[in-house]
Order: sequence, then C-alpha cells, then structure tokens
Amino acid sequence: MRGEIEDEEGMRLPGTRYQEHGWEQVRKLLGQCSLQAFVRLDPAILLAPDAEQSLDAYIDAVALALRTAGARAQAPGNSYGDTCGELALSLVYELQARPADWAALCTAVTSEHARIGPFWTQPGGDAPLRKKFNDLYAVLRDKVDSDNYQAACGRPCSPNRMYAYRMLDTAYHEIARLFDGWREHAGQVGAILGREVAAMPIEARQLRSIGDCKPEWIMHWSESLEAHSGAPGPLHTRSKRFASLKNSLEKIGAMLREIGEYEALSANRDQDWLQDRDDAGAWLDDYWRVLDESEQGSTPGPDQILEARQDELDAAEPELSLETAPVDEIDAARLAAVAEQVSLPLNYLLLAAAAEDRASWAARRMAQDSLPVRLAVYLKLLGPFDDSYPSEWLDPASGELPTMQQLSGLDGISLPTLRKRRDAAIAGLNEMAVTEEERRWA
Amino acid sequence: MGMTQLDRKLQAGAMMERRVENDRLMLADAVLQGALDGSRPLTAGERTALQASPLTLRRFRHLADARRSFAWRGSRGLLRAADSGAGLDLLRTDDRMWSLHFVDDGGTLCVIVQLDPDAAGAAHVLDQRPAIQVRDGAGQVVLAGVLDADGECEGRWPFAQPPSTHFQQHGARFEVIPGAPPIT
Repeated sequence: MRGEIEDEEGMRLPGTRYQEHGWEQVRKLLGQCSLQAFVRLDPAILLAPDAEQSLDAYIDAVALALRTAGARAQAPGNSYGDTCGELALSLVYELQARPADWAALCTAVTSEHARIGPFWTQPGGDAPLRKKFNDLYAVLRDKVDSDNYQAACGRPCSPNRMYAYRMLDTAYHEIARLFDGWREHAGQVGAILGREVAAMPIEARQLRSIGDCKPEWIMHWSESLEAHSGAPGPLHTRSKRFASLKNSLEKIGAMLREIGEYEALSANRDQDWLQDRDDAGAWLDDYWRVLDESEQGSTPGPDQILEARQDELDAAEPELSLETAPVDEIDAARLAAVAEQVSLPLNYLLLAAAAEDRASWAARRMAQDSLPVRLAVYLKLLGPFDDSYPSEWLDPASGELPTMQQLSGLDGISLPTLRKRRDAAIAGLNEMAVTEEERRWA
Repeated sequence: MGMTQLDRKLQAGAMMERRVENDRLMLADAVLQGALDGSRPLTAGERTALQASPLTLRRFRHLADARRSFAWRGSRGLLRAADSGAGLDLLRTDDRMWSLHFVDDGGTLCVIVQLDPDAAGAAHVLDQRPAIQVRDGAGQVVLAGVLDADGECEGRWPFAQPPSTHFQQHGARFEVIPGAPPIT
C-alpha cells in the first residue's frame, strides 16, 4: 500500500531538486527573506530603469537574510539532503545569472505601481510584494529544474513540461486518495473508472505507484473535477498550457511511466551520483582534451546539431495565474538588520596576498584585478568557504572570506563598482579563446 | 607549473555558472560520447555549439563524470606454470592493466607494480593517481602505496621466501586493488 512517506516526498525526476514537498518551505523562506531584504532596500529601486543594479543589491540583501534565517532554513528541502536554506540560496544565485527573470519582476512591480501607486507603503502592502517574489521563484524553479533534468538525462525539457510532470504527479496522488476512500467517493471513482462502483474496485488494489496509473483515469479525473469540486480540472480549463496533453493519452501515459520508473530506480539506489569532491573538476580535463582533438583533427562536416524541439507542451508559456500560490500570512516577526561591521586584521591584505599562489592560473588570468576583486570572484563562484582557500584569506572572526562590503572597503571602491569589476573578471575567466599555453596547463 | 586544485575549482565554477537565455541541448549524447571516447572528434561547428551552450556543457560534464565514475575496482592475476621457475621476474594481471616486476636492488629484492598506459581505462586510473595495494592469494599485503606520475609504485619484497615460492604457497594468485593510502 502507498505509505504516507511516499506521499510526503513528492515527485522526483532525474536531476531535479525543487519538485518535492519541501518546496513549500523553500518558497516561504524566499518570500520571507525577500521582504526582509526590502526592509533594508527601498522597493522603489524596482522601478528604476537600471534593473542590473537593483538585482545586485537585492541578491546581496536576500542572501544575507537567508544566511541568518535560522530554523526554517535548516529544514530538509528534498530527499537528496539539501536543506531549504541551501535550495533557496542556490535559486537566488540562479536568479543572478538570469537577468531576464528579474526584469520580468521589475515590469510586474512597475505596472502595479502605475495602477495603484507605491502599494508597499499601504497597510498589508507586504502581501502583493511577496506575491511578486513568489511568482518569480515559481517560474524560476521550473526553469532550473528543467535544465537540471536535461543535464542529467540528455532529453529536452521545458519549464512547462516540468510543470506538467508535477500536475500529473499531483493528479495521480489525488486519484490514489480517492481510490483508497472509494466508499466515500464512489461517484467520482466511478467517473474515473468509467463504470458504476458498487464493490471495492480491483484497480484500487492494483494501483501501487504512479507507473500503474492509467492515462484515461487522469483524463476522467480532470473531467470529473468540475462536478465534484466546482472548479475545472487542469486538462479541462481554457488555458493553452496543457493543450497538447488534452488529446494525447499516449503522451500522458509516457510521462506517468517515466516518473514511476525513476521513482523505482532512485528508491533502490544509494547516492552514487555524489562525486568525490577532490575529483569535482576532473571533467575539465576531458573538456580540454575534446576541444584539442577537435581542433587537431576535427571530423569533416556536416555538423550534427540538434534541432530545437517543436513540441506544443514545450512551446507553451508558463502562466502565472494557474500557479495560485496562497499568499502567506504576513510574517510579523522580522530579524533586525544584521550589523555588517566585521573588521579585519590590519595586516589582512598583506597576509592574504602572500598566501596567494601567484603562479596559479587564476592569479595570472586576473592579474589586472586587485586582490579584493579576485577574492570577490572566489566568493561568488565557490562561496565563502572552500577547503582549498589559504587560511590567510579568511576573516578570523567568521572563518570565511570577507563579505562584499568588507572587500569593497578594503579596495576603497563602492559596492556597485566592486560588483562590476568582479563580474568583468568572471567574464574574463570564461573567455573561450584560451591560449595554447593555458591549454597545456589545464 | 600546473593548474592548482583551487584554479581548477574556480575555472569549473566559472564555466558552470554561465546561463544563456533560451539555452537548450545542442548536441546529442551520441555526439558527446564520440568526442569523449575519441572515436569521433567534434566538427568545428559542434565545438562552437558546445562552447556557446552552458546547458550542453553541463550535459557534457555529466557524461564525463559518469565515464570517470565507471572506475577501475581491481585486477587479478594468476601465477602460471611457466612462472613457477626460479627466476620469476614478471607477472601480469588478467586484464593486462598491471604488471609486477621483481628486481634485485643491490642485494635487496624489490617489487614494482606498473600500470600499462595502453590498457583500457588506464588513462583514468593514471589521472586519479590512486592509492593501491597488491595482495597475495591469502590476502596479505605485498605492496601498498600511491601510484606515481609514471603509473608505478615500488617497495621492498616483504616476505622471507622468494616471489615464486611465496605465491605458489599462497593461492598462486594475486590482485591489485584500490587501497587506503599509507599514513605518512
């Protein structure tokens, strides 16, 4: 029989991190911390034409709030061992790399502002602001997870397809619940099975996992919702979102089976996908080798480049109105802004510079940048702590790299300038025109 | 002068952090696998596509990691009849990946285990430079250490009897396995 644990876990697919029930907590955490960020920041910055600057300021403020969020951040966020705080923080960093999503939020705030003025100053004005962030992250999580899925299994996936997987998973659990209580729900169970139900249906006994769920049941269940709950089912709204599924039992069946197969697989497997940390960059050797071999003796054409997939399900745009996330109760308790005045030892820069491997690829690649800018690059790409950092780089007070505020102070430049220089340095690291010399090093 | 561990992490971090709006998988797994195993290098256009698409690069990384984690777990070898003569100086594992050499170093008998660089999977083992152990058929350690850059590891022959006699009395077989590095 289906246990409660299984129901609690929610959907798993290859590579995904944000599809399980812990997402509710991640979403609340992000909402709460975003509001905290806008205690420190003026929401009016969202109206400014320079979205890049408001994004940077928001990222810093919300990351700080997340790091000090306490118990809620420690709660498990999925069955892979990620906490809610870790999941929220990595979503925030994804946002940083996807300015178009931030621009969409700014546009939404700006149009609401044009309609009703500075709504965040009204009593209860937190709620609509929080809703904007809920919407932002609801879209972002499916973008991130559909990318994760593609990287993990090599099959194309869109955010809308990810949403559809989740809808089907929810539908299956709902059908299973109705089957379990077939006596109380005889009418609806009959509608799903397409026949009168007088005794316990054999299907209720046979339904053990989502892979056993028949696509016809999903279709009939969706159809039955209007009569039994008053609202049309997901496959029976006028929305175009699932238009391509409405008439394709085959597609629905294939997606149900896929979820079921991966569930069975991941339930029986140790976490062998965990990489040895020391070896985490080993794939880079393969990368440079593959580029080299291609340059030395590339295969004569034609290029085998994949066509963009033209499936209706993938082409449909996400619709926010369907993601009717309930607006949280306003969280009255807010943490006070955390004091940022952590001073560093006077000789910090001297010691940190001496500890840097000047011959290293990174030091040479970023030789034009100041040490604080280089440290800001490490801070962004590898986080405040990494085993490989020389201890002289760490702030003795925190045991971590200095914060962006500290680094901008060290360098005598403003925070926005530091961010600009840091991002330029990262772009430099990413330049693909790698010299032969570096290729040999790699 | 090589890339430090920190360099590699930073470089990998910089590449994995990139996002491109409307990115998608540009190359099929078969194309990436062919490039990884060297059977079909990428065309110039495919190379450009890989460099321009962070998502395709992430798939590449996944496949590269999966290939690497298909790791060598140990090799076995037998003492053959022809090896049982007095002058045993070479043994090979059945998969031809490893050979054991016995050499007299100024009166001290030494044993050297050597990775054949042309054996299947040898390149990955050499990349990782693992700690290894050589054990006889009774499970006693013949040699333990970390593989050097030439794919070799050397030590004193630890038993009283010469190799041929020792192996004959201990199952006539041996194995080379990944082992805990010696405590230094």
